[in-house]
Amino acid sequence: MTCEEFWNSLSRPPGAEFFEPGGEERAHLLECAACDARLARQRELAAGLRSLADSYRGLKAPGRVEARLIRAFHAQHGAPVGMNRPWLVPVWAAAAALLLAAALLLTTGRQPAAPHRTPTGLELASMDAVSASDGFTAETETTEEREGFIPLPNAEGIGPNDDVNLVRVEVPRSALVALGVDVNADQASDRVEADVLLGSDGVARAVRFLD
Amino acid sequence: MSGRPESDEDLLMRIRSGDEEAFLWLYRRRQGAIYRFTLHMSGSATVAEDITQEVFLALLREECGYDPDRGTLSGYLFGIARKLVLRHLERGRADVQLEAGGEDSVLPELAIAQDPLEHLTQHERIEALRRAVVTLPRRYREVVVLCDLEEVDYADAAVVLGCPIGTVRSRLHRARALLLEKLNRDWPKRAVVKELKPARVLI
Repeated sequence: MTCEEFWNSLSRPPGAEFFEPGGEERAHLLECAACDARLARQRELAAGLRSLADSYRGLKAPGRVEARLIRAFHAQHGAPVGMNRPWLVPVWAAAAALLLAAALLLTTGRQPAAPHRTPTGLELASMDAVSASDGFTAETETTEEREGFIPLPNAEGIGPNDDVNLVRVEVPRSALVALGVDVNADQASDRVEADVLLGSDGVARAVRFLD
Repeated sequence: MSGRPESDEDLLMRIRSGDEEAFLWLYRRRQGAIYRFTLHMSGSATVAEDITQEVFLALLREECGYDPDRGTLSGYLFGIARKLVLRHLERGRADVQLEAGGEDSVLPELAIAQDPLEHLTQHERIEALRRAVVTLPRRYREVVVLCDLEEVDYADAAVVLGCPIGTVRSRLHRARALLLEKLNRDWPKRAVVKELKPARVLI
């Protein structure tokens, strides 16, 4: 068997570049050190590629991609199918009640000692707003999509026809203190995701916490 | 959803009737491979994220042109991702230089004297290989990423790349040869150290 015949025989089965050589091929490998070394290197490369694939196996797109796609899906198809299922009604009712309680707690239940003020643009920037180049794009929202937002203290209200921008940010949990929420010192450095509604002047008007 | 997992095609039919749950199933089943493919091809997590999103948005659009007779849905998604990646690469002229070696050029001879891989730790080996894959010319990179890293079969890869299966196999062969060549070239010093190790004492 020549070297050419050896490599042709190896590549015969489709999709199996590195299959185990049969008797004739093994005999050639014993005679030909070059082919033996070349085959060993190809096998090692195959093993390396498998390791590389394994090391990336768990890598997935960030969760925000799924969130955006769900929004796009809703925009195209309307309410989720699950909303029509009767057994989900009590679940949605309980969730709504919890949200309402949380909103009340945030807006009326606790008053901070210091007067509130509207965060400046600089402060917003320090909240690690993710720029559009990092994949987060500021999007214009419709009125229906503004549900669940808590108006920021002393911020101007938003009229139904006002232009607004929505920016998703990650903020330290300590930022909740400004809204009158007690924050455990141990958790102050934790980060929470929030949507911030910006007016056309760039000033923050309302916030919605996602966690 | 229970029992036997639904096929991608069944999920797509449910998606078209507005079933969000089916969309989520399909997305979660396929997004990892699409994301990794675009990441390996573009070398940018931001680009990979944007393209993954675009691929599934395309699936939602009315004009989604998936035809089951032409291949699997997975292959169709890879095909969209590939087109978007190529558009991105062409816009950025990111790999113009890498395309210099055409398919017809001579296959690099596989060096057999030294094996740079054997000197590397497992982590170094993987990182070295990752870099080598990213710097492959585009047509070889995509076939390695599809067939070797994402384990797409040759028939599907041929549909994704729009070429015969034989071309997939020949590109893969050349891509692997190029990878070995790159790994040899990138660590010459390690090889030299071994080369200089005395095998016997000369008097």
